[in-house]
Amino acid sequence: MNNLKLRTAGMAVSAAVLSISLAACGSSGPAGTGASAGSATMWGLTGGDQPVFQASVDSWNKSHPDSSIKLDFFANDAYKTKVRTAVGAGQGPTLVYGWGGGVLKSYVDAGQVDDLTGFLKENPDVQSRYLPSILESGVIDGKTYALPNNKVQPVVLYYNKEVFDKIGAEAPKTWDDLMALVPKFKAAGVAPFSLGGQSKWPDLMWLEYLVDRIGGPEVFAKIAANKPDAWSDPAVIEALTKIQELVDAGGFINGFSSIAADSNADQALLYTGKAAMILQGSWIYQGMKKDAADFVKSGKLGYTPFPTIDGGKGNPANVVGNPSNFWSVSSKATEEQKKTALSYVKDGMFNDDNVKALIDSGAVPVVTGIEDKLAASPDKDFLTYVYGMAKDAPDFTLSWDQALSPAQGDAMLANLDQIFLKKITPEQFASAMNATIGK
Amino acid sequence: MASTTQLPTSPAAPPKPAATRRRTPQTGRSRPNILGGLGGWAWLAVIIVPVYYVVITSLKNQAGFFTSNPMLPPSEPTLDNYKLVLENDFAKYFANSLIVTLGSVIPALLVSFMAAYAIVRGRGKFLGLTNNIFLLGLAIPLHATIIPIYWMITKAHMYDTLLALILPSIAFAIPISVLILSNFLRDVPNELFESMRLDGCSDWAMLWRLALPMTKPAVITVGIYNALNVWNGFLFPLILTQSPDTRVLPLSLWTFQGEFSVNIPAVLASVVLATLPLLVVYVVARRQLLSGLTAGFSK
Amino acid sequence: MSTTTAATREQTSRREQPSRRTLEKGPSGWLAVPALAFFTLFAILPLLGVLFLSFTRWDGLGEIKLDGLSSWQTVLTDPVTGNALLVTAKIMFFSFVVQAPISLLLGVFTAASQKYRAALAVLYFVPLLLSSAAVAIAFKALLDPNFGLGPGLGLPFLAQDWLGNSDLVLFVVVFVIAWQFVPFHTLIYQGGVRQIPTSLYEAAQIDGAGRVQQFFNITLPQLKYTIITSSTLMVVGSLAYFDLVFVLTAGGPGYSTRLLPLHMYLTGFKANDMGAASALGVILVVIGLALALFLQRLGGKNRNASQLEGA
Repeated sequence: MNNLKLRTAGMAVSAAVLSISLAACGSSGPAGTGASAGSATMWGLTGGDQPVFQASVDSWNKSHPDSSIKLDFFANDAYKTKVRTAVGAGQGPTLVYGWGGGVLKSYVDAGQVDDLTGFLKENPDVQSRYLPSILESGVIDGKTYALPNNKVQPVVLYYNKEVFDKIGAEAPKTWDDLMALVPKFKAAGVAPFSLGGQSKWPDLMWLEYLVDRIGGPEVFAKIAANKPDAWSDPAVIEALTKIQELVDAGGFINGFSSIAADSNADQALLYTGKAAMILQGSWIYQGMKKDAADFVKSGKLGYTPFPTIDGGKGNPANVVGNPSNFWSVSSKATEEQKKTALSYVKDGMFNDDNVKALIDSGAVPVVTGIEDKLAASPDKDFLTYVYGMAKDAPDFTLSWDQALSPAQGDAMLANLDQIFLKKITPEQFASAMNATIGK
Repeated sequence: MASTTQLPTSPAAPPKPAATRRRTPQTGRSRPNILGGLGGWAWLAVIIVPVYYVVITSLKNQAGFFTSNPMLPPSEPTLDNYKLVLENDFAKYFANSLIVTLGSVIPALLVSFMAAYAIVRGRGKFLGLTNNIFLLGLAIPLHATIIPIYWMITKAHMYDTLLALILPSIAFAIPISVLILSNFLRDVPNELFESMRLDGCSDWAMLWRLALPMTKPAVITVGIYNALNVWNGFLFPLILTQSPDTRVLPLSLWTFQGEFSVNIPAVLASVVLATLPLLVVYVVARRQLLSGLTAGFSK
Repeated sequence: MSTTTAATREQTSRREQPSRRTLEKGPSGWLAVPALAFFTLFAILPLLGVLFLSFTRWDGLGEIKLDGLSSWQTVLTDPVTGNALLVTAKIMFFSFVVQAPISLLLGVFTAASQKYRAALAVLYFVPLLLSSAAVAIAFKALLDPNFGLGPGLGLPFLAQDWLGNSDLVLFVVVFVIAWQFVPFHTLIYQGGVRQIPTSLYEAAQIDGAGRVQQFFNITLPQLKYTIITSSTLMVVGSLAYFDLVFVLTAGGPGYSTRLLPLHMYLTGFKANDMGAASALGVILVVIGLALALFLQRLGGKNRNASQLEGA
């Protein structure tokens, strides 16, 4: 009967649909849990380190076909947004890329990452290869949950020597020097500072350094310890006031709040001579080495510590930034995946090739005993400068947005954006932030 | 277009298939409408300038982008950017988009058509309630429910699979599809059903042998409307998928934007490539596409 | 063709039916079950879920814990929520004010029979093909003060910091939204205009009415329902401008373009406060529902009633 035929046809269609859906999930498979047993997954960031990680993993996979690693890259902002969602879904990568601090703590609290203390004890070689102060950043409540995986990243004040020569200026040593340079560059038609304001975290580098120079590292330590009203510290208010003075003076390039640091547009303004200076992480050296090789090679790129402030309590040798990035091991990964991940951390990372590749890319690996290698690099001036800066710093403050809890970090960046736009006063900033303490 | 899916159509009278719609010849107007013409051309400029900028920039090399006049075509056009995008797994993202779109639209059409048929031809409290639930679904910004959906998908271990995109997309397409399809089904003369019934046909048979052929244009139209929404959807992929293996086109644009960094021409080349498939559909089936978009909205 | 006739016809047939054989009871309700099941699972349950989650504390990683009204307290006392509502209202208002007249006029313009207008219409509808992500990326590049439209045309006033100036950015967002959605509404109006009986215009012309008079005396009144439909879509649609704004400005600078849906997303998936984000989701649902009901009422109960009856 016709009826039956139709019914069959209907079922065939549904079956076809079903098979499409099944094919859909079959083609991908859950990222963190599946694939061939023992094949670990790893997510890295696009940018300077990308080729280094890629080369390291490629060579690992070649020599360890049975315990291979699948590596994917994400842009910084996209990564930060998505990795948490994935980890929360229990489907993060085996090796979770991170910055330590508050975000790491939230993973630890939720039991999403493994304790690596035992692994370090069993492998003293691994422990001893790191600069101790940096290894410390992966420790929460006395246990190690994250191991450094790349390079030291202090925030550096870069300047374009060519532009400085044009107006006969010198790199600023004090805040007053810096403020005095602003009108000079403006008169010459060059923006004094480039700033990737759309990404918001570059704004934070200004606040971090100013607060440290004015009040010393204790001010942020109190904030991080969730002391009530810690944001109302006079050092914070003064730092914010100074930022707004610099904004008023026209210190930052026009349109800074629509410039994205993720797209490297901020550093492009420095090497194209549209801006004279930029306060940014040491990692942008890698980007400029790649995108503006001539500019870097010909020695037109200058760098200097953040200026001192008269009467400031902070040691001028203090630095802010990221001690390193880290690998944590997802507790949701299979035993084989974990084994693969850890044996990569042990033997695949910071071997001679990896260290050399990092240095060649223009970065300073977080391992000991590399002075000779740095000195032999074509980038030796910058690399030894950064190495010294990180090694000799009496205090190395972790980027605040990473040190604080995600909720506080998000509110801080949004409020700081308002400070740069002069939408709120320093006092309003402090009271808005005090309200987030403990969140 | 995602925004338009969940909206209540002020319950429109049954729209007719595009083919039968007649143009209103506003004849007898000899005097040209200069003001209207000017406005029309001005809007054309508004539409075309961004499109023009995207296309010419995608043909520039990176150095050319920084040095040349942004609004002039490149002196030496290059397809390198397109090559770069295609080498970056563009085909895979395209395939993912295709799977998600077909995998959502076909089941959504099937179940919506069945429901619309039941609602139009049947009666009883259950169907009335069902219809009211769907009408309610039109008025609610369904994306507000993304957090529980995220939770459900993770608990079902479907996070980062294409199925995670397909299932909610089907659900979100149902209210508008049922509404439009039932409007069309109401136009099928009752006598036809009666005579088929006298021949001993069951409802299941009538559904496929009478109702479906009679409303085929409407089904296609609704299908196209849903397909466009799913194809261009952004929120579900953003939250429910993660890895490049499950990336769909709109999300790939966003990630290209981060990955290609200052290489704006390559980013814009990815925009062009992601739009091309729909442009081809538009050129081939403009009528269907446009009526698909207005289905159920115009009186 | 009106719904009323359809409804009446149906009722007539229904009345006849009960006397016939059981087969004629109409189709089984089971046919509606698959659709209802999908919708319940992925729309109704999440709707209840979002209400439930708004009374919990959850960071997206750990356990979900009941937490009473604290998420609501956070959300309702947070000035950012108020700001997000204000931004949403502003964008809703300006989007409507910009889009409605343009789409109406373009709809009338393209509905006419001239060949060149039909040709223009083909190009007008191109933005409909682009995803919001694509539109946002294109405009981001186009509006760049250093490498975009302004320097390209040598017009300094176009080289503003469009996306970085908190006073301008709202209007830029409104403009880009209009660029993307005006074509859609034009299409609706075009369809509406084409269904106005030609005889009305012919009669008016015999009476010597000019173009402007015809527009106000015939076109506008005849388009009443189209206007209501399109306006409802515009207004309620403003609650869903998530992807465009997310890619274009990510809510910035500051909080200038942090719309309610975006605020919900950032609260949930960036600040990891799922409880507060769910409370924002509930607010979003309530506003959407209230707006839709309000606009329906505005549109006249009769139509609504006949529609529901017909259903």
